[in-house]
Amino acid sequence: MRHERIAVGKFAVNARMPWHMLDTEREVPTPEGIELNLRLAGPVPRALAWTADLLLRAAAFAALSVPLRALGEVGSGIMLILWFALEWFYPTVCEVWFGGATPGKKALGLMVLQADGTPVRLTASLIRNLLRGVDFLPFAYGFGLLSMLVNRDFQRLGDIAADTVVAYRESARKHGSIPEAAPLPPSKPLTLREQRLVLDLAARSPLLTIERARELAGLIPSVTGTQQPESALTRLLSIANYLIGRRT
Amino acid sequence: MNQQTFESLYAGRWDQFAQWLERSAAARKQEAQSQGMVSFDMPARYRELCQHLALARDRQYSADLIERLSGLALGGHQVLYGARSRSLDRARNFLRAGFPRVVRREWRFVWLAIAVFFGPLAVITCAIPSHPDFAYVVLPADVIDSAQQMYGGEAKALGRKRAADTDVGMFGFYIFNNVRIGFQTFASGLLFGVGALFYLIFNGVFIGAFTGYIVDAGLAANFFSFTAGHSAFELLAICLSGTAGLKLGYALIAPGRLTRMAALRGAAAEAIPLVIGVAGMLFIAAGIEAFWSPRTFVAPIIKYAIGIAMWCLLGVYFLFAGRSHGS
Repeated sequence: MRHERIAVGKFAVNARMPWHMLDTEREVPTPEGIELNLRLAGPVPRALAWTADLLLRAAAFAALSVPLRALGEVGSGIMLILWFALEWFYPTVCEVWFGGATPGKKALGLMVLQADGTPVRLTASLIRNLLRGVDFLPFAYGFGLLSMLVNRDFQRLGDIAADTVVAYRESARKHGSIPEAAPLPPSKPLTLREQRLVLDLAARSPLLTIERARELAGLIPSVTGTQQPESALTRLLSIANYLIGRRT
Repeated sequence: MNQQTFESLYAGRWDQFAQWLERSAAARKQEAQSQGMVSFDMPARYRELCQHLALARDRQYSADLIERLSGLALGGHQVLYGARSRSLDRARNFLRAGFPRVVRREWRFVWLAIAVFFGPLAVITCAIPSHPDFAYVVLPADVIDSAQQMYGGEAKALGRKRAADTDVGMFGFYIFNNVRIGFQTFASGLLFGVGALFYLIFNGVFIGAFTGYIVDAGLAANFFSFTAGHSAFELLAICLSGTAGLKLGYALIAPGRLTRMAALRGAAAEAIPLVIGVAGMLFIAAGIEAFWSPRTFVAPIIKYAIGIAMWCLLGVYFLFAGRSHGS
């Protein structure tokens, strides 16, 4: 996400300087001229999802092997085919036909997507899952982890070859809605960036402790017109209400 | 226009869009079919939503609203651009024309893989009778021990280490083992082609040493009558999985005018039909190897004839299938 710094109290920074933050959010441009945000998942949730899948597959295999063992040699043949299918086709089948995620990924709120934000395709899913073995080398997903740490999109080698990413299904809610207050026009015209700052802070304020919200509101006397933290927050909320168009 | 007015004007339409997205794909399809038309003009509504999102961003509306709209846009984007046919036609076309075409397109890597696999195989096979000790260098002791049980004259079913092994049991084992080797050969090509080369050479040497040892031990008749039927599918499949792996590795070594990442992505997408075909060939080979090859009541000459026929069949398939433009 691109952030631009604006004049905040005495910490005036060059407002034109684009500010690239380290962020796990990726912007994907679409043909409609908008940008979609994908929140990418790092190694830890993906390892947890893999572990959940491993346990699930082991449980399924154990449960099915009880009746199959009764069939003797024939049963052992079927068990090997089952093991083969669980190892090689389970991820692909889940990803392509069951909503882009294995049950383990679903449990952690993850899904596999093409890097352009569309659902994962069959060929891409096959590539990323067939190449899993190389990611596993030299042991315990060593290459995969290395690749994820180096790659800006957390892609393991299979993901790079398949052009896929693993993202969260839901975007994290970083903002609440702006609390209602008596609307109040700002004492001087605000630039768009300043308006945006006021709105963002007002929307975040219910998620912060009241002390922190007041402290932050007190940093922008140029907007609220007061150094007093308590009244600064009230003023800020009123101005935010005015800006989004609430009228008494 | 301020945010409040904007929201009150369009909130209803956003809610409709959200509801439409929430209904699962199956329900949407059924709805469209039962009414004979798509009741919801999805592309137009999606473009409208994109416009609203762009407006909201440009006018610096609250992050809350922008997040909601971009969430809806992401959902719409996935439905609109994710739609693609998954018909059986594609599978049939792949079988009839797609697979042999890919094999012919990659002929350089195919011949390289064949040379790297069959070269050592032939050399070692021919060398073992004059240097029998080499078989003990390559082959593990239990493989040598089991050769007599598998291909001895008294075996009821050929190629079995234990009398208790059944056809279905062996079928499972062949799938589990052979298809895995095929997949591994492909995947290890990602290590700059070294892994694929290793698997090709290793399997060539191993199979060559075993064949040479069997011939030297005088079990050739049983061994060749066992392997004749599935040899075409199995050996060519190993070569083609190596082909796919070599292609991956070559893209990393010599990416041409692309970045290495882009070359790898392209090569992987082009190689994956080979891997799908390899898996199919190895399934067929496993079926033949488990249910046909072990039969001792069939005269060896018939098995040889069928084996040669399989080689011809695959040769003709890869050379000629899908050449006409009609398909």
